[in-house]
Amino acid sequence: MLKELQEALLAGKKTEVEILVDKALAAGLPAARILNEGLIVGMERLGVMFKNNEVFIPEVLVAARAMNAGLAKLEPLLVEAKVQPRGTVVIGTVKGDLHDIGKNLVAMMLRGNGYKIVDMGIDVSPEKFVEAARTSNASVVACSALLTTTMVQMKAIVEAVRAAGLKIPVVIGGAPVTRDYADQIKAQGYASDAASAVEEVGRLLAA
Amino acid sequence: MGKMTPRELVAATLRFGRPARVPRELWTLPWAEENHGAALAGIRARYPDDIVRPPAVLRRPLKTSGDEYKPGVYIDEWGCRFENRQSGIIGEVKEPLLGDWKDWRSVRVPVERLTLDTARVDAFCRATDRFVLARPTVRPFEQLQFIRRPDNLYLDLADPPDELHRLLERIHGFFKEEMELWATTAVDGLFFADDWGSQNALLIAPALWRRLFRPLYEDYIAIARRRNKFIFMHSDGHIEAILSDLVEMGLDAVNAQLFCMDIEGLGRRLAGRLTFWGELDRQHLLPYGTPDDIRAAVRRVGRAVWRDGGAIAQCEFGIGARPENVAAVFEAWDEFVPGR
Repeated sequence: MLKELQEALLAGKKTEVEILVDKALAAGLPAARILNEGLIVGMERLGVMFKNNEVFIPEVLVAARAMNAGLAKLEPLLVEAKVQPRGTVVIGTVKGDLHDIGKNLVAMMLRGNGYKIVDMGIDVSPEKFVEAARTSNASVVACSALLTTTMVQMKAIVEAVRAAGLKIPVVIGGAPVTRDYADQIKAQGYASDAASAVEEVGRLLAA
Repeated sequence: MGKMTPRELVAATLRFGRPARVPRELWTLPWAEENHGAALAGIRARYPDDIVRPPAVLRRPLKTSGDEYKPGVYIDEWGCRFENRQSGIIGEVKEPLLGDWKDWRSVRVPVERLTLDTARVDAFCRATDRFVLARPTVRPFEQLQFIRRPDNLYLDLADPPDELHRLLERIHGFFKEEMELWATTAVDGLFFADDWGSQNALLIAPALWRRLFRPLYEDYIAIARRRNKFIFMHSDGHIEAILSDLVEMGLDAVNAQLFCMDIEGLGRRLAGRLTFWGELDRQHLLPYGTPDDIRAAVRRVGRAVWRDGGAIAQCEFGIGARPENVAAVFEAWDEFVPGR
């Protein structure tokens, strides 16, 4: 049944995911198991397929939509059972930048892999990243930029997080961003695409 | 053989006819003028463009409002609303023009573009010895994104509704008319654009691209061929998956982000069949490299793609680019000696 759920998620079949989640719950499976072995494994498989160019942005978005539908059914039960997310990620596009499709893909993949997402949207100042990280008790700050002029904000974010005394990693990404740039500004993580972002966050939190 | 005119130089490049030097074209964003006006003027004086664009004077003005390159709101000629926070670049669509597919018939095409003053274009072409590249606004995928907003469109493309096909047909019909109109003028080349790549891959599955979009580009290329015009395309991102298709259809030149692809692999597959109209890495090398890095990059591209032609020295002086690096692009291409 959980394999069927994974397949429905990969195919982007939102209604079928909802039905299968209901069936699994009715069969007595715990919400956490449905999440971990159904939805999250499905999203992990999707991430691999995306990295391998077997699926592309449309397929990822419909799968994420199906995943969200399944998650919406499980969330009240997960809260009741006090199931903790893998971590909390504060994510946003940096100040002055309005581009968000890449950032949204990363947020979807992370949510689908069991992370709680605090999505700050676009044009987010370093102060707002820090405030959100503090109030949500975030494990990671993730920021995105598409322009060479706005990516300079990432250094300010890294410095603001450090100055606020938050001992959490900052992960950066976006078209002009590189691993070298991350090292240069002392960001702890870098990801070149949404699937890699999930791996990178996992790596940073395991360290 | 006498000295080639710029027009002849570009044509020789496109035909792999051993031009006397690599032809040039510099693209700029308003940011460059705003921040490096004097340096830009110096580059233009030392390395004048061989490719120029004709005036696109319309008898009926476009229905736009705002300034597309200034912070604030800009409404384009289709009615799409762009929000912008940065001066010198275009903004982003946040509120889609078409929120519900049932309203697809309400999308108007900018027929004002079909009131082009072709006589003025012809006069411009006669008065110059440079290669004149037309500038119709043909970009079906991009326009669909502006109309629907990108995230909505990607969801649509996962299972395209009938209305998408009908709207695309209407958009394509308009773009064909616009392309035909430009093709009747004395321009040397025609141009269309659509950004198809992310940093690492095509944005949609190649099979979907071939089904929905390849036929559109085939039509634009056929229009050019019928009128004996060269045909150029711009597409950002990693587009290796579709380049062979474009060459098969008869594309003459592509402006693509070579530095996010396998340059040497592209050269092995396509050199001698396609002209690489730039670009020189605007994401990393132009803003963060040195003139020596630029020179090495130019030599690398030249080695990979030059076959008695097949490359145009092109780059974009955009946000963050250093003037000395932009100048180095053209200096290096001027010094380029095949085989060295």
